[in-house]
Amino acid sequence: MNHATRAAKFIGDADRTTWHDETLWFVRTKRDKAVYAVPEFQDLRELASQIKNHTLSKLDFYLEQFEEQAKRNGVHVHWAADADEHNAIILDIIRQHNATRIVKSKSMLTEECHLNPHLIANGIEVVDTDLGERIIQLRDEAPSHLVLPAIHLKKEDVGETFFQHLGTAKGEVDPQVLTEAARQHLRARFLAAEVAISGVNFAVAETGGIVICTNEGNADLGVNLAHVHIAAMGIEKLIPRLSDLSVFTRLLARSATGQPVTTYTSHYTKPAADKEMHIVIVDNGRTKQLGRPDFRASLKCIRCGACMNTCPVYRRSGGHSYDATVPGPIGSILSPNIDMKKHSSLPFASTLCGSCSDVCPVKIDIHTQLYKWRQVLAEANEIPASKKWSMKLMGRFLTSPRALGIGGKLARHGIKFLPYSLTHARHFNVWAVARELPEPPKQSFHEWYKQQQVK
Amino acid sequence: MFTLHKWRKPNIKLTSPPFHHFTISLSPLSSSREKILAAARANKPEETLLPTVPSFEGDASAERFTEVLTSIGGQVIWLEGPEQLQQVLTQLFPDSRISASPLFPGTLPVDALTTTEVLADVDLAVLPGEIGVAENGAIWLPEANMMHRALPTITQHLVLVLDHKRIVATMHQAYAQLPSTGGYGAFVAGPSKTADIEQSLVIGAHGARSLIVLLY
Repeated sequence: MNHATRAAKFIGDADRTTWHDETLWFVRTKRDKAVYAVPEFQDLRELASQIKNHTLSKLDFYLEQFEEQAKRNGVHVHWAADADEHNAIILDIIRQHNATRIVKSKSMLTEECHLNPHLIANGIEVVDTDLGERIIQLRDEAPSHLVLPAIHLKKEDVGETFFQHLGTAKGEVDPQVLTEAARQHLRARFLAAEVAISGVNFAVAETGGIVICTNEGNADLGVNLAHVHIAAMGIEKLIPRLSDLSVFTRLLARSATGQPVTTYTSHYTKPAADKEMHIVIVDNGRTKQLGRPDFRASLKCIRCGACMNTCPVYRRSGGHSYDATVPGPIGSILSPNIDMKKHSSLPFASTLCGSCSDVCPVKIDIHTQLYKWRQVLAEANEIPASKKWSMKLMGRFLTSPRALGIGGKLARHGIKFLPYSLTHARHFNVWAVARELPEPPKQSFHEWYKQQQVK
Repeated sequence: MFTLHKWRKPNIKLTSPPFHHFTISLSPLSSSREKILAAARANKPEETLLPTVPSFEGDASAERFTEVLTSIGGQVIWLEGPEQLQQVLTQLFPDSRISASPLFPGTLPVDALTTTEVLADVDLAVLPGEIGVAENGAIWLPEANMMHRALPTITQHLVLVLDHKRIVATMHQAYAQLPSTGGYGAFVAGPSKTADIEQSLVIGAHGARSLIVLLY
């Protein structure tokens, strides 16, 4: 199934599609308001971009520096080449402590590696503690957005889920009441947890410390109560200096939700007295992406989700239509690196309007990369034959002035005689499914231009 | 005579073959660490410069700090002096049963080894903040000021006491004042909150249900 097929399912419910579109656009407008209030915002974007570019250009150096500092801080550092190794390392740490009660705060990397199913298959209970993630965990769904994992759901859906799993009243849909129920339910899990797993927003090479940003405080509550903290980080999370955080903390929340900063920006550098801290550094295809000059800039991503909120396709097709860990425009340039065949339709899920690149806080050229992926996919024969041949034909047609002239004339004069059933044949012309043909103009631009010259 | 130019392809070119088929010639026994570092070394782009981050200045007033913190769900109250602290707290939290604070006597003794069971019952934590940030209402709270790392989030209500002279304009000045971030420390900006259900803002997710900053 490709993106278009899954999107068609999503837009089957027109009211919900409109609601989804408007809700995400509302987040985009909040982002604009927060961004315009910072006069140096464009300078910060440029600085963030340069810091990330520099870090990638010395990634091996910063990885080693980070490891050395973290070890000096008493942190156990592990390296995982791929998802399997990442999962095995984490399971091993948990087993060493004979732990069965695990809480986990947000981490797209553990999603990418499918850590939860692996732990559950090995008899270990893992509870996602971010409210949105807990909701979708109870529903056995995947997140549909980077920072708003349950944005595809309405409060009625959440109410029904909580009625089934948390014992709230049937029909209870007040977000305040539902959140309080989740607070009580999860507090018990926090208090009982033996191991806390977290993601990493930023890893500071010079200090060996990691930074985690949340609004709910779930990472701090989990990590600071459990005996063992395991933080999973992709190699691209590094930044060189502590002071670089001043740039990124000013960009992240403003770009993500329009907040001036997340409620908690927590710096974990050393384990607490009598406790253990582990950091798992994961590659899983990232060094391969680093070796692709056209696509390596995708590794600068700080996972704010701004490109999703602004994307006209994402807003109207929903995160699940991408069937990838990271959906939206950024996911569409990251995912083909991991599995080109599976994700071959994603770079086409875009109008190439460029809005994603405009809002990206680290200036990733997202829409250019989408365009380049299309070429790579065509070269690798990963696009449908119909698309391939129609594009080839179209290319030939548009590069021949003669063919274009004759074709245009035929279309202008002939189109009105074509039967509706032919111009709107569902399988032949998908474009016309929800559109009417335009009134053909009397003459072409070329003809009009010639007339002007004669005058 | 006017002629139509041949339509040109967009001027976006692949700068190199998309698949950098890179093979690492390492022994099969080499660890993932060596593999990852070797691949990063081989595939990284040409070195670019690390920019110097200017110290963007701005409004460092207590008014600005108050305005921003209020907009994100926090509350600011001025103390006339430190001696007013307990009196103000009694007014604010008349029903608070268990309080923890290093700032005044008679509270629950908490340190790094206090158990989860004891911490779970704390209604109110009153802690000294170090640096306030006017642009986003955040306060730097180092581990040394927290009594226990979990206290600021496990307590039902959090009060941070801050010297108004320690308010800076932006995160740049805040980080410039931090010699190090210690073992653990956090910028705390407002009460714990979530908007995960239909984007409706709810204060009091998993951490403190309220945050009051007492400025002096």
